[in-house]
Amino acid sequence: MFGLSRKPHDATAVPAAAAVPQRIHLEVVPPSQHAELLQRWMSLAEMQQRVIQALVAEVAQTSSFVETEADALSGSFQRLAISAQQQTARVDSLTSLANGIEVEGKSVPIERITALLEGTLGDVVEKILHLSKDSMSMVYALDELNANVQRVEKCMEQLNSINSTTNMLALNARIEAERAGAAGAAFRIVANEVRELSKATQNLAATMKGELKAVTDGIANGHATLRRVATIDMSDNILAKERLEVLMKALVDRGSALETIVADAVKESEMISADVDGMVTGIQFQDRTRQRLEHVVDALHVIDQALEEIKGSTAASLPGLAAAAPDIEWVKKLLERFTLGETRARFVAHLLDGGRPADLPEDIPGNNAPSSSGSAELF
Amino acid sequence: MKVEFDDNGARVYISGEFTFTDHIAFKAIADRVFEGQGWPIVIDLSKLEFIDSAGLGMLLIVRDEASKAKRSLVLRGPHGQVKRMFAVTKFDTLFTVEA
Repeated sequence: MFGLSRKPHDATAVPAAAAVPQRIHLEVVPPSQHAELLQRWMSLAEMQQRVIQALVAEVAQTSSFVETEADALSGSFQRLAISAQQQTARVDSLTSLANGIEVEGKSVPIERITALLEGTLGDVVEKILHLSKDSMSMVYALDELNANVQRVEKCMEQLNSINSTTNMLALNARIEAERAGAAGAAFRIVANEVRELSKATQNLAATMKGELKAVTDGIANGHATLRRVATIDMSDNILAKERLEVLMKALVDRGSALETIVADAVKESEMISADVDGMVTGIQFQDRTRQRLEHVVDALHVIDQALEEIKGSTAASLPGLAAAAPDIEWVKKLLERFTLGETRARFVAHLLDGGRPADLPEDIPGNNAPSSSGSAELF
Repeated sequence: MKVEFDDNGARVYISGEFTFTDHIAFKAIADRVFEGQGWPIVIDLSKLEFIDSAGLGMLLIVRDEASKAKRSLVLRGPHGQVKRMFAVTKFDTLFTVEA
């Protein structure tokens, strides 16, 4: 009726343009048909008003939906921004952990720990070395002492031999004194004294031998003790030092690797923070969108008002005109263009049933089930 | 431990293992080395396979004696365990050590 005769999915055409009535040549239309033309104009105005009102409601709902979702997204992004900043700070704190360890509240670099351990081990090795040298000096001194004692023992043997000879001489002197009778009395006394002297010397030699044995045993014990000190096995120290060097190198390498990774992570975290901050700013688009949509709604209200006024003035000028009735076919062709079930349902309710769009379901994701209320069943 | 002399006793070759049990033999070597005068003392260790801390101590005593006698002392050709012992004890800071 209003010229909506093109195909539903013709993208090059728009409903408003399609709704423009066919060119009417008033000079060839007889005056009897003027009322019919006006009737068609009035019907079109009525439908345009309904469409405008439905569009206003649709725009308002969409604006509200966009604003709600944008607010939710903005909140999420702000929380994400805070998390990203905290993450950056945490990752940054890893840098000091990668370089060293905490000792009494101070960060000690791994290189310093390595130097400290190496220094301590080197000090221990140096002391062992000095101990070995001093022990060997003592061993040589004891060897010398032992040689002296052995020489003394040989002297003691010679002393015993001399003493044995002396004793034998005393015994012979005593025999000769007895053989001499009274003349040998004095000689007997001397022989006895020599024999007593020899016995005393023998006893002293025995005592000295015992003492020398104690000295020899003492030297042997000291020798054994020094041997244990001088032969301390440093293999474990060598291996410990080598293991320590390998471990420390591994620790330093790990520290360097961690430092590189952490530096990259810090850089990436900062980039994420910057991106998220940009998103928080970018998500503010809903303010501009709302303002634009308010302008659209305002313009539609002005058109609606103008249509209402021209309808009113026309009806007042021509009281004989019939009341405007909805053009079902036109509405049907218009609604065929809508792919969203809820949108179609709201338009049906508004254009045909006169329902209020605010009472009908909104276009929300996942809620595209077609409505089955009222005239929607017609479509 | 096996010992050989060269250059009138100024050069000593020690092979095998140099441990505490060699201290008497080493004393004799040292006495012979210090009998001469003026020549630098070279102890060749290229065939020495093992040395313990007592052996290191004996080398240090020879070093002191060489210093007293104003004789230079060179340790030559340490390898393997001997070289590692020299490294851990920083012997190269106490002696002239040649490869």
